[in-house]
Amino acid sequence: MDNILEARDLRKLYHRGSEEIPALDGVSLDIKKGEFVSFVGPSGSGKTTLLNILGCLDNPSSGTLRLAGQEIFAAGRMLSETELTRIRRRVFGYVFQRFHLVPTLTVLENVLLPFAFYRKAGLTTDVERLLADLGLAKRRGHLPGQLSGGEMQRVAVARALVNDPEILLADEPTGNLDSKRTDEIKEVLLEMNRKRNVTILLVTHNPTLARTAQRTMELQDGRLVC
Amino acid sequence: MRKLAAVIAILLILPGPAGAAVGCDLNDPDRDVARLFPESTGYKTDYISIKSRGGEPLLRRVEQRLGDKFQGLYETSDVPYTVYSIIKGKELIGYIHGVNQKGVYGGIQVFLALESDGRIRLLYFQKLTSRHAKDLRAAEFEQQFKGLDLKDFSSYDVVAGRAPEGSRLATIKNPAPAAEKDFRAALRGVKKNLILMDEFFFRKAK
Amino acid sequence: MKIYLIAYKNLLRKKTRTVLTVLGIALSSWVLASLLGFNKGYEGALNHDIDNMGFQVLLTAKGCPYEAATLMLKGGTGLRYLKESMVQGVAEDHDVAAVTPMLMQAIFDPNKGESGGMSGYLGVDPATFPQSKGFLEFKKGGWFKDPDAREAVMGYEAAELEQRDTGDKLLIPEKNVEITVVGILKRTGTQDDGTIFLPFRTVQEVFGRKGLLTGMGITVRKDADIDKFTERLYDLPDVQVVSMAQVKSTIMSLLSSAKVMVFSIALIAIIIAMVGVINTILMSVFERFQELGILKSMGAMPSDVFKLVWAETMFLCLAGSSLGVLLALGLARTTELLVRRLLPYAPNGGLVQIDWRLAVGTVAAVTGAGLISGLYPAWRAARVRPLDSIRNEAE
Repeated sequence: MDNILEARDLRKLYHRGSEEIPALDGVSLDIKKGEFVSFVGPSGSGKTTLLNILGCLDNPSSGTLRLAGQEIFAAGRMLSETELTRIRRRVFGYVFQRFHLVPTLTVLENVLLPFAFYRKAGLTTDVERLLADLGLAKRRGHLPGQLSGGEMQRVAVARALVNDPEILLADEPTGNLDSKRTDEIKEVLLEMNRKRNVTILLVTHNPTLARTAQRTMELQDGRLVC
Repeated sequence: MRKLAAVIAILLILPGPAGAAVGCDLNDPDRDVARLFPESTGYKTDYISIKSRGGEPLLRRVEQRLGDKFQGLYETSDVPYTVYSIIKGKELIGYIHGVNQKGVYGGIQVFLALESDGRIRLLYFQKLTSRHAKDLRAAEFEQQFKGLDLKDFSSYDVVAGRAPEGSRLATIKNPAPAAEKDFRAALRGVKKNLILMDEFFFRKAK
Repeated sequence: MKIYLIAYKNLLRKKTRTVLTVLGIALSSWVLASLLGFNKGYEGALNHDIDNMGFQVLLTAKGCPYEAATLMLKGGTGLRYLKESMVQGVAEDHDVAAVTPMLMQAIFDPNKGESGGMSGYLGVDPATFPQSKGFLEFKKGGWFKDPDAREAVMGYEAAELEQRDTGDKLLIPEKNVEITVVGILKRTGTQDDGTIFLPFRTVQEVFGRKGLLTGMGITVRKDADIDKFTERLYDLPDVQVVSMAQVKSTIMSLLSSAKVMVFSIALIAIIIAMVGVINTILMSVFERFQELGILKSMGAMPSDVFKLVWAETMFLCLAGSSLGVLLALGLARTTELLVRRLLPYAPNGGLVQIDWRLAVGTVAAVTGAGLISGLYPAWRAARVRPLDSIRNEAE
């Protein structure tokens, strides 16, 4: 299986006054297409920073990142917000801890929201099918205020998948949900990974959820420990 | 200064627009209301036309009750009659209503101050152009109408200018026999005024 | 899903805030449209009044402004007059196309109102006056022909007040002179509506003013230099020259300082409304900081987010300004009544004229100003990075 992501010696330094704080300290990893990988580690270990760089939300301070064989970040090369957006909209879908649905748009409109800005050429997403797969078919005309937390996160997942991304990044997607809803989201992620062959990178504090992934990587002090 | 004088000149040398367009308004309502109803504390102004209250059928009924047709360029169903409802505290104590009546030498403005039951409190010709205007506008003449109401006028023939013998109206004599036409016009105006007020207010109240 | 639909639905999130902002814009647009409409209407009405006088220069006896007041108050006693013989001299000037003599007289009528009132008559020359007032149309009848006929032409409102039809008689009070009505004019919306015209020789005779005039209307040739001509007229003894252009410019200049003030008020109203717009949009941008970041993560370019927020501003301003213009249109007559009460002199006719061009212009101006105000909030929104919103979330 081909690697979809190849990271080499990724570093990220934050500056606080004259002090340099390494958030990532030489992370190298390969992720295969269709793989489901989870990142765990204590708070401040650099999981979210890593996910942001792998997901092209942020530039690394140094190191390289290849996306499907194509070099994205290399030494000394910083990408502008526009360049990052161009890559992101082609490759990634994102799910965050908070759902950020537009309260005045219906479930269907929220799911279709990304199309207002970008639609992959030749894309024929079966939105009805996507909604059905996520158990939202009957909720399509509802407003977010009429949904449960789990349902809202499922809408967020549908929204992240509507442009048929190759990689889905999920940063603490169940952080705001109880255990029952967490299980729901776990099932959804697994199913999407299996059915749609979407590569999933998951950051979570929840060990059960982390174990759902095919591979779990642990970070400590900005380094991969296993 | 020369310029300013010029402006004032132009504003004054030309005749100003003549009052209200069609209706028959009091020249100075605040002062006139206080004079006709000294006990009043306020008044409300309504503009009512035959057209807005009943159109053609109402016009026919008014003409039939008047015993004469509406005539000329200006006696039409769209004339907005100005009715002042007089108020004392919260109580309605009467009305003031005027109609334009064609006289021999000009328009006669026939105003009636009415009690709330429709009886005449005072007849007042706001404007009357006639060689004998002074006699017709004399207080003694106008006072004779005090206490009369529409019933007293119902049998009055406005075309022939005749009131049935023995009726209260028959006792009112023309103070200026030479101005018989204006006298009759004035009485026609009073009768028309009472009929309109009956149609607009009293009939409905009954 | 179009960006404009999202922008519209975003505005529905905080309905009260949106409605209040729209109302603010509506009020300022109302003020602006009414003022612009007044500006246009007043000038139009003034032009109409002045053009409908039929002549460009009015010559009166010196000191006439005060005498005109006398005329109104005392019925002509103590009035000063021009000699009728001057007409010939003025008519010979090379700049003059026509001269029409006029004699204004008023008389006390004890039977008008409670304590009497004035009745005015304008004596005009049947040979020249109808030409200089060619636009006057008759409802019934026509001009008197004979310069000393005992006949009258009545403006519509004067005829209505007197209930006169053609063939009816008029009585000049005190003088006991009967006049036959031969014509009733159609409404013009000018002072003519309230005027009773008589042949000027009849007025001279009835009022004992033989050989005298109160003024003459002068129609100037098209190519004439009115300023030079009026200067020449001042060489005549004891005359007051009133040029209509001068009257207009004086009234307009008197009005202009008032206009500067009201336009300043309108400008302040617009500025306040625009500050309101900036505040509303900026608040909504800050409230949606994370959401805007998420939109970026979904693939929205900075330009998309800019467009989204700018579209919200545009909707607010379009709705507000349209509502304001509708208010201005609906309340134009009320505004006019108010203006008439406030102004010492207001010409006849519509003082506040709001046509479609003015309406569209107001909407465009207010929306344009709104879009400029919306630049900063839209720019702030466009700069939001997805990372910022995620960091916010982590915090």
